[in-house]
Amino acid sequence: MTNKVTINRLSTGVPGLDEVLGGGLPEFSFNLIAGPPGCGKTTLAHQMMFALATPERPAIFFTVLGEPPLKMLRYQQQFDFFDSEAVNRSVRFINLSEEAMAGDLDRVLRRIIEEVAAHSPGLVFVDSFRSVVFASATAANPKNNLQQFVQQLGMLMTSWQATTFLIGEYFTEADANPVFTVADGLIWLRQSVHRNSMVRKIEIMKMRGQATLPGLHTFRISRAGIEVFAPAEFAVGGGVASKAARLTPRLSMGEARLDGMLGGGLPRGYSLLVAGPSGSGKSILAAAFLAEGARCGETGVIAAFEQHPSRSPNRVVADLIASGQVGLVDRRAADLSIDEVVHLLMQEIHRLKATRVVIDSLSGFELALAPTFREDFRESLARLVTALAGTGVTVLMTSELEDRYIDLRFSPYGTAFMTDAIIVQRYIEVDSRLLRVMAVVKVRASAHSDQLREFSIDANGLHVGEMLPDQEGLLGGRPTRKRSDDLPAGIADANDGKKA
Amino acid sequence: MQSQESRRIAAPLARRVGAAADAAQIAAAIFAIWEEVDDALTPVIGSQGVVALFQRSVHLAAASHPWLTAERDGIQPLMQPASLRAAIALQSSTDAAAGGSAFLQTFYELLSSLIGPSLTERLLRAAWTHSSNGTPAQDSTP
Repeated sequence: MTNKVTINRLSTGVPGLDEVLGGGLPEFSFNLIAGPPGCGKTTLAHQMMFALATPERPAIFFTVLGEPPLKMLRYQQQFDFFDSEAVNRSVRFINLSEEAMAGDLDRVLRRIIEEVAAHSPGLVFVDSFRSVVFASATAANPKNNLQQFVQQLGMLMTSWQATTFLIGEYFTEADANPVFTVADGLIWLRQSVHRNSMVRKIEIMKMRGQATLPGLHTFRISRAGIEVFAPAEFAVGGGVASKAARLTPRLSMGEARLDGMLGGGLPRGYSLLVAGPSGSGKSILAAAFLAEGARCGETGVIAAFEQHPSRSPNRVVADLIASGQVGLVDRRAADLSIDEVVHLLMQEIHRLKATRVVIDSLSGFELALAPTFREDFRESLARLVTALAGTGVTVLMTSELEDRYIDLRFSPYGTAFMTDAIIVQRYIEVDSRLLRVMAVVKVRASAHSDQLREFSIDANGLHVGEMLPDQEGLLGGRPTRKRSDDLPAGIADANDGKKA
Repeated sequence: MQSQESRRIAAPLARRVGAAADAAQIAAAIFAIWEEVDDALTPVIGSQGVVALFQRSVHLAAASHPWLTAERDGIQPLMQPASLRAAIALQSSTDAAAGGSAFLQTFYELLSSLIGPSLTERLLRAAWTHSSNGTPAQDSTP
């Protein structure tokens, strides 16, 4: 038995925030929510308050100066979490503008204590705290006054068993504000503007007694409120992998000859990169992969960043989406982050218990991201692949590849090493026609074909044909016919026959 | 907005005022309801917020009852609730009841337009329930 105190962790009700906080919010902690105007501080506070407040654990929301409470109520009730019925039952709003305007912090503190004593709240919010600071600045001895105020408030609220939040604007975190020292938790909200996109980020700069997820985490504010996108590793949930384990060890790609080239299908749980130039048939291969899954009773998810799947000339994917066998992740927003895409993918994977996932294409994906995320695209992509691998799904990613005939490249991002298998497609010129060839370059821990096969695309999809043994230098793009005496006897005869 | 909420305002007023009330009694009843509204709202939106809403409501209600903003005997009803009460008491009982309830109704509608009917109802529920069930207010002024 341990005699140490157990710190309860409150679930904040903000999706993703508990993970970032390292398991929820410590009960009776004294926290600061800081950030520039319009970054979502009040929204975050309200969302947590409505989620946490109950008649047994009521909340008091003190409004000080700054945003008039009437306006705050007007705008905050637009969010789904705002529950008018909770007001005056589990949630109480109290305005302190008169006390604050007098510039007397003692008076503000006294009033807070009176109300806390009267209502015994389990949660106390003071919004905005910065206005308390401003009000006190007019007093004779601002700094001491403020520090005293915060220290007393922190001590009192903890003694009154109230989890407390001070909400305020703070200019720089480097500012040696005494409030930062007193606080148990520092939640910093930011907005980063890059060209014409604005991305919201949250950082837990401090949370006593627990390991938070370091760094900046993107979040989005919608009608439902704030949603934080915890890093991909933490978005992983169980369930799918165990289901996948009961299924066949290898997946068919929907083209028997391609399965043969892969050594009997794509090993389940692998990530496959299909690289090739524009129009070479990557999306069609991806569609066949999903259609084959559906035929075998498996569900899939497609993240489409290329053409809109429902407008795709290939009806296969559109039909699968319409029938509900394939889920669609199709977020187009200027502030898209990889973590959000992973989050959306995971949601769909879990909703559909999906086993096949397509990302079409990585190039489109990179363009869809907010500019600020493009710098570390490779790292983020590695996280995405890891997270998807963690669920046990089999992933097919397409990648646009400029045809280069002087070197053999698979992806512009150096993504090749992240994936377990690679198929390369390319164009070649034969007899004044553009033909397509593909090869399986890599299947980790598995035997696979080393053949370059011609393939064609028609209304029924993609068909893998034969090798072109009478041609050489295919990878150079302009193969030359081998001399007949180099060819095996049968093929030489056949070629001679064709020519005739 | 002749909504249900608005009608709900008229009911307690009628109950408090009673049929045979004179203007002074009507003024007292309206003032009593107002005080409960004030008590319910001031902690939430601050006294200045309540005063601003009060003045706007009187101003709007004056469109149909011009005497609400007319200065009479040095009383400007727009400025504060006590002067509104005095102004109502100076009217005929018919005008007092009509103008007084128009003011309360306008106030309710104004608040609803700003923070929505459900939150308005929620915030003023206590005041209204009390008004509906409580004994009619008596004019306590000598």
